[in-house]
Amino acid sequence: MSEQRLPAHVRTEFGKGSARQARRANMIPAVVYGHGADPIHVLLPAKATTLAVRTPNALLTLEIDGQDHLALVKDIQRNQLKRIVEHLDLLTVRRGEKVQVDVAIHVEGEPAADAVPNLESNTVLVEAEATHLPETLTVSIEGREVGQHVHASDIVLPQGVTLLVEADTLIVNLAAEEEQDLGETPETDADVEGTSEGATAADADADAVITDADEQ
Amino acid sequence: MLIPRRVKFRKQHHPGRSGAATGGTEVSFGEWGIQALSPAYVTNRQIESARIAMTRHIKRGGKVWINIYPDRPLTKKPAETRMGSGKGSPEWWVANVKPGRVLFELSGVSEEVAREALRLAIHKLPLKARIVRREGGE
Repeated sequence: MSEQRLPAHVRTEFGKGSARQARRANMIPAVVYGHGADPIHVLLPAKATTLAVRTPNALLTLEIDGQDHLALVKDIQRNQLKRIVEHLDLLTVRRGEKVQVDVAIHVEGEPAADAVPNLESNTVLVEAEATHLPETLTVSIEGREVGQHVHASDIVLPQGVTLLVEADTLIVNLAAEEEQDLGETPETDADVEGTSEGATAADADADAVITDADEQ
Repeated sequence: MLIPRRVKFRKQHHPGRSGAATGGTEVSFGEWGIQALSPAYVTNRQIESARIAMTRHIKRGGKVWINIYPDRPLTKKPAETRMGSGKGSPEWWVANVKPGRVLFELSGVSEEVAREALRLAIHKLPLKARIVRREGGE
């Protein structure tokens, strides 16, 4: 994984007012902590940081007051609508130090004709050197039949990466195709009463769907 | 169609429409999702209609998640009725959707099929929405 270099300025003003002011000036507030040291509150350039954190488990080199700080992205707060990065939590790491991170699973290959792969775990917890973290872990479902499972033990791990979840953790489940309800099944008498055109919640009330607790 | 099996009180105040969603704003289960960009009351019929549009398009394979539930009753007074004499009778069941909420999720299909299925589903919903992908997804 390549390291991204970012210039950082130490924050002197705190609170939502100054944080918003910083965001208007195209900066992202962030906090750097770890190894028992006091947390450092910094401002990072918005564009470069947004691009850098696109990589999962990105390793950043922050230049704070002329000193380099190696940090991993621990948490990203995004605006749910604009999707811009609002705040970052960065964890200080040392070169060669082993860290625990969640790594995304990537499924490849085509299963047997009637098998549908269900990804049961999107990520797995692994331990690896901070400077050699995998971006994704790949599992192959090539030719797998219905009823077969891919467990955590089936993941091919890169050198230096250790799995921290149970070996029998289910990752991909190959299920049979389910009959999809397309809403074309003929309605039974009971269904017609509850769901036909013009039927209302008031009709459903007659079927004891609602209790009258408020009127007792 | 989604409908609560049993509720404690038949009639409720209208759900608040202001603000943005604070939870359920990420794609958590599938690979693709529909994210609301405007507030709306989504009825159980609209949810069912969107689900059917999606499942019809993906034909085989794929899995659909519905992340909202129509648990709020809305009432209506009958036509040509004078005002007064109490609140109307429950007419619809709605989910109170706020901007940012992921309504549906989909997985197990190609990007092309997923985008078209979700586009068809968005047309069944009374709100502005966009297609989003799970973070870290490729």
